Amino acid sequence: MPDRAAEDLLRELAPQVLGALVRRYGHFDSAEDAVQEALLAAATQWPADGIPASPRGWLITVASRRLTDLLRSEQARQRREDTVARWALPAELLAPAADQAAGAADADDTLILLFLCCHPSLSPASQIALTLRAVGGLTTAEIARAFLVPEAAMTRRITRAKQNIKDSGIPFRLPPGPERRDRLGAVLHVLYLIFNEGYASTSGPSLHRQELSAEAIRLARMVHRLLPGDAEVTGLLALMLLTDARRPARTGPDGSLILMAEQDRSRWDASQIAEGVALITEALPHGPTGPYQLQAAIAAVHDEAPSAEATDWPQIVALYELLMRISGNPMVALNHAVAVAMARGPRAGLDLLAELGADQRIAGDHRFYAVRAHLLELAGDHAAAHDSYQEAARRTTNLPQQRYLNTRAARLSGDS
Amino acid sequence: MKYMILTYGSQLDYDTMAGQPAAGRPAWSGADFAALGAFMESFAAELAESGELVETRGLANPVHTRRIRLQEGVPVVTDGPYAETQEVLAGYWIVECDSFDRATEIAARLAGCPGPPGVAERAFADVRPIAESQAELEL
Repeated sequence: MPDRAAEDLLRELAPQVLGALVRRYGHFDSAEDAVQEALLAAATQWPADGIPASPRGWLITVASRRLTDLLRSEQARQRREDTVARWALPAELLAPAADQAAGAADADDTLILLFLCCHPSLSPASQIALTLRAVGGLTTAEIARAFLVPEAAMTRRITRAKQNIKDSGIPFRLPPGPERRDRLGAVLHVLYLIFNEGYASTSGPSLHRQELSAEAIRLARMVHRLLPGDAEVTGLLALMLLTDARRPARTGPDGSLILMAEQDRSRWDASQIAEGVALITEALPHGPTGPYQLQAAIAAVHDEAPSAEATDWPQIVALYELLMRISGNPMVALNHAVAVAMARGPRAGLDLLAELGADQRIAGDHRFYAVRAHLLELAGDHAAAHDSYQEAARRTTNLPQQRYLNTRAARLSGDS
Repeated sequence: MKYMILTYGSQLDYDTMAGQPAAGRPAWSGADFAALGAFMESFAAELAESGELVETRGLANPVHTRRIRLQEGVPVVTDGPYAETQEVLAGYWIVECDSFDRATEIAARLAGCPGPPGVAERAFADVRPIAESQAELEL
């Protein structure tokens, strides 16, 4: 069996094995360590000895043994220090939720783990790190490399997050009904952040960053498999696929950014686009329509257009207007202004920007100036465009972006 | 009448059964453990055959124990409350038979359980009548 296939199998089984352990024995923090060690043992033994008849059973047995060892040394230490570990029973365990009996026990452990890792008591950075480790089955070293932080720092972050979950005494089960929707929102947001971390950033070794996007897509597929009827889950998966499809055309050979309008669309991934379009087409009529579905719909319109000019801009304007109604994010308004400029001319877009300039959240952002510069250039006002490009370059800390913006500015001063 | 037959073991006994020597006690070999399993299986099968077996179970490692008690009126949980050498319940059989003596006879057959040297000498089983009702407890 090739190592790659063994690794895929291990990553798929990791949350199931952890879920089985925590369900049976509790101790989320130690169980998570035990599962990591079992995965490591499998990664070294399976390629040499072959995959066992029941890989899941093998992992659970090895992880359970390891958990027993970990608990014993922990309990022995506690007894030596004469600090008997005690925890108060959470109220939830004393007064079980009314819907607890119905199917709670056979709900998928992977989903429960995701809810646990994205618990609101954790910071977003901790939610991301813990999700990648406990659900994604990545090692701390891999996560640290992807986020460009030292491994020791990532170890501390994950340890603290696990301690936090342990201390909070959250029971291992799906959040009760009314809470579930909000908590699913937190899970989707974490997956979206992981995807963006891999996609949007151009710093660091690009290979490792791309793995983050791939991991986010893998996890989103998993959630979609578990909750096929949730339109926002489907929308998020579609959004990731439709965005990631453009990756091959997004950077030049020297790593510089290429704007969508100038990308070689023949290099876009046609099969990912087809899959994303099919998903969003299926999700939209089932509503309620949420922000991920709308963003996916916008991405689909872009992906299906043969060129920037031939894009259905009026439809994109309409989708952004829907999105603005449910999201107060000024970036949405900025993108809306671009779409309006493409549909009705640069002056219409610049008028919207003038209004948007009053919003303090976006007025100082480099993206605001970059968009303004671009629209001014389209409108023929090269002097103002030049200044705006330079202003944008001053306000970003990202080197490839600075290089791009300065190049645009220099080109304009050349022909004026 | 129902009786419960109880056997005991410490965490260290679990270790030796899992193949780790501990505190001067030899580790069980794979063959030792298989012989134990075969004995327990036929023991249970015979009891089932005679209609005397109600239920039998073995318990997981003592380290996986939670103790719940009240502390200042609040239920509080302690994880793994047992010391490594403390003998705790390891398994039980509930039998339904005619007399305490018959239940004792059944329990005595556990003395024939195979194991590495020294194990049989230390091992013991208890037999206790099960109270069928509150009235029986308040005799």
